[in-house]
Amino acid sequence: MISGVLIVLAAPLAARAIGASGTIEIHGRMAETGGWSPSVIKANTGTPLHLRLTSDDVMHSFAIGQNDAPPVDVLPGQMTEVTLTFDKPGTYIYYCTRWCGPNHWRMRGTIEVTGNDSTSPQPGTSPLYMKLNLDIDAAHPASVTPIGIPDAQHGVEFSTLLPASYLTPDYYRSHSPAQAYLDLSADPALSSLSGTDLWDLVAYLWQSNTTPEGLAEGQRLFAQNCAACHGETGGGNGVFSAYIKALAGKTPVDFSDPATRLGAAPALLQGKILRGGMGTGMPSWGPILTDQETWDLIGYLYTFQFKLSP
Amino acid sequence: MSFEITRFPLIKSLLKNRWSQLLVWFVMLVGFLWAIMSGFAGTPVGNRNFGIVFVWIAWWAVLILVAVPFFGRGWCAVCPIPLPGEWIQRGAILEPPAKKPRWLNLRWPNKLRNIWLQNLIFTLVALFSSVILTTPKVTAIVLAAMFFLAIGMSMIFERRTFCRYICPVSGFIGLYAQAAPFELRVKDKKVCLSCNDKPCYNGTSTLLQVQGDARINEGSQAGYGCPWDVFPGGLTKNTYCGLCMECLRTCPYDNIAVNTRPFSADLAKPSTRMDEAFKAFIMLGAAMIYCGVFLGPWGNLKLAAYSAGTLPWIEYTAVFLVFLFGLLPVLFLGAVWIGKTLAKAAITLKKSFIAFATALVPLGLMFWIAFSLSFVMTNVAYILSSLSDPFGWGWNLFGTASLAWQPFLTTHLLPIQMLVLVGGLLWAGRTAQKAGAEIKISPVPVIVFSTLATLAMLGLLL
Amino acid sequence: MFRKQWFIGFLVILAGAVIVFAPLPVHAALPTHRTFRVEASQFAYDPGVLDVNPGDTVTIELVSMDVVHGLYLDGYGVSVTADPGQTAQLTFTADKTGSFRFRCNVTCGALHPFMIGKIQVGRNTWVWRGIALTVLGALAILILHPNLPKAKAV
Repeated sequence: MISGVLIVLAAPLAARAIGASGTIEIHGRMAETGGWSPSVIKANTGTPLHLRLTSDDVMHSFAIGQNDAPPVDVLPGQMTEVTLTFDKPGTYIYYCTRWCGPNHWRMRGTIEVTGNDSTSPQPGTSPLYMKLNLDIDAAHPASVTPIGIPDAQHGVEFSTLLPASYLTPDYYRSHSPAQAYLDLSADPALSSLSGTDLWDLVAYLWQSNTTPEGLAEGQRLFAQNCAACHGETGGGNGVFSAYIKALAGKTPVDFSDPATRLGAAPALLQGKILRGGMGTGMPSWGPILTDQETWDLIGYLYTFQFKLSP
Repeated sequence: MSFEITRFPLIKSLLKNRWSQLLVWFVMLVGFLWAIMSGFAGTPVGNRNFGIVFVWIAWWAVLILVAVPFFGRGWCAVCPIPLPGEWIQRGAILEPPAKKPRWLNLRWPNKLRNIWLQNLIFTLVALFSSVILTTPKVTAIVLAAMFFLAIGMSMIFERRTFCRYICPVSGFIGLYAQAAPFELRVKDKKVCLSCNDKPCYNGTSTLLQVQGDARINEGSQAGYGCPWDVFPGGLTKNTYCGLCMECLRTCPYDNIAVNTRPFSADLAKPSTRMDEAFKAFIMLGAAMIYCGVFLGPWGNLKLAAYSAGTLPWIEYTAVFLVFLFGLLPVLFLGAVWIGKTLAKAAITLKKSFIAFATALVPLGLMFWIAFSLSFVMTNVAYILSSLSDPFGWGWNLFGTASLAWQPFLTTHLLPIQMLVLVGGLLWAGRTAQKAGAEIKISPVPVIVFSTLATLAMLGLLL
Repeated sequence: MFRKQWFIGFLVILAGAVIVFAPLPVHAALPTHRTFRVEASQFAYDPGVLDVNPGDTVTIELVSMDVVHGLYLDGYGVSVTADPGQTAQLTFTADKTGSFRFRCNVTCGALHPFMIGKIQVGRNTWVWRGIALTVLGALAILILHPNLPKAKAV
């Protein structure tokens, strides 16, 4: 009798040990209660890494930073299997993509991939804001602001007047809309345009540095990563804005406020997004978003100030 | 009006057979130990954990919807918790051994020979229920505590003292067993009067041989005395008989019968015990509070009930205790007092209070059935998924692991609950009338009390 | 006396059947479109009780305030899931009258199975029937059975 009971008890444990061999089991919890366990995994290039993922509390998901493989939902009490194979050695970040509390963005782990790779690692390029020596923590009030909402559709009409030098990505990234407005209003080629027209032209200039697909991607990224704090309409009033206010003393940035937003150059926004916080509660998205994703997101952020055609 | 089901040889032999009983016990014991194991080693997500799903959904549903209302202490007959302790105490799993082990076998102290301790323990469990019911580890701790306590007590005290005086579940099963249409009784009390050895209570290690007694039943076996410390010959109510069938085995005169009978037979005569009366209040009040806290739309109540140790929880605890031990009994006392004053009856207020509290037995039972139907029918899908992946380890034994949650038959839930509640009121009203007839006091105020309580439940559940 | 009791009993059962099965008069109000913003957090909905008229087209905007929550409307079988920062919309026609619970269907923590709200479409038919049946039942006991029957001889 007793041996029968013991066998029946031991059987599941044995089955588990057998079934789990060769895989790494990762448990996800809200960041406040532990985040990913384990949070550091080692792997080798070329060797498939078998992972079994489960959540111990709420809905999470699993994705690798700067990797376009789609995220995988990590369900409470259920197991999801994922196999990853890395070609290049390095440190990869895995993170959660479904908001699981205000500290969701802290739910990150690293996969350290070692292996033989004859190509020497590329030296990292420093981000634009560093090259431009922008102080991304300084205030950036816009010295001029428009009266209404600048409309890129209207700005198209004046695009032929616009000198080509303004339309380069370099110009766009290194100038805030307010600076662009000042440059344009000082340019003799555009002296015939009114203030409103010039703002519309700035909007057009901003739009010409985006694509419809890019804006759509930016909108998707914003909804998934930013709206929870910044609000679905960018007003700094997202569901976690009260938490941020209690934490950092002020609510998340209000993207609909022209006084500050139009004084921010895309490179400055890139810096904020890549580096994050310094006590403001803003996450650092550097290891998560690719370069293209960051610029797409930045392009979308200006749609709270400008009317850009889809 | 009772019908003896042990008149059928197949049924009688099945009930007397120790092997068939052991088989059922084995299944229950394994399930119980798996529940504890999954609490400690399985996923902490309650609705994906065998322990939570099979204890608080599957077992609870069977207990409150089937076992108690139809079989009284039927669950106690198959419960695994006392088993290892009992086997250790007896020194055997089946028939009595040649040499009895020498455990302490102390008698439970007189002052505690009532259900007040069970009332207290149940109240404690009820206060922490939102944590216990949702956290696998805590369920496992509670079950393991009961298990080891039962084992320990078996080595110190006689018989099934844990079941009789400690187990919180036993407290209310016994109370509500009085309403069930199932019983174990002796067939003829006169036979008991002439029996000297009373092996039903004292046990017997050998088949009883009474020379020249034509009534000897050749089918009687060696066995143990009643583990529930009940003398079968004196059984008039189901409250304390655990349906373990020992007396059925040992009676040398085949004088024990298992019968079906009308519902509520034990409630025809009013109760005389204050501990049982208060158990009725505890159960009634807990059902009402649970309907509000667990099934209502008020999130702050749920969080208060869950966050043990915080100020909101302390406030919740205070309200809970005042409702169960203060408000309900005081209101009831008022109702009893009105009836007693109008009748100018000589009986004491205390006795009439206890007598009328009998009506709260069927009322409480139906309240618990109505409450339980809600979360059982809502969550029964988890039973299917839990069968395939009991520990949350990614198994899929029967292919149902990814079965999406969906409520079951809940469109009919509201009318069923309504009928259950109204049925409970009618039942309680009849019980109050029978009690009132015995003590010559009008049951009308008590019926009004029961009506108001039923209306409150309707408002909370429907 | 005995026959009278049976007659009253029959009336009671008839009244009970009427209470349970009789169709209630249809609500007179014209159906409109209603939108509700419902905030879901661990472990409740706010507002927790919604009131609509039968025939209304109802839109529930589900706003998750902390983790991923769902809303499953029991009785209608429709559901929606919302991540924080991404309000989700559920639109349906309230063609069934009565009281319906909505429950979270994405495991969102310990008390997830008890995350419950209620939508009231028109009259809460079952509660009214229940109240009527309760009162009828109480009266039936009081009338049909004498309140102080002679105690049976033991």
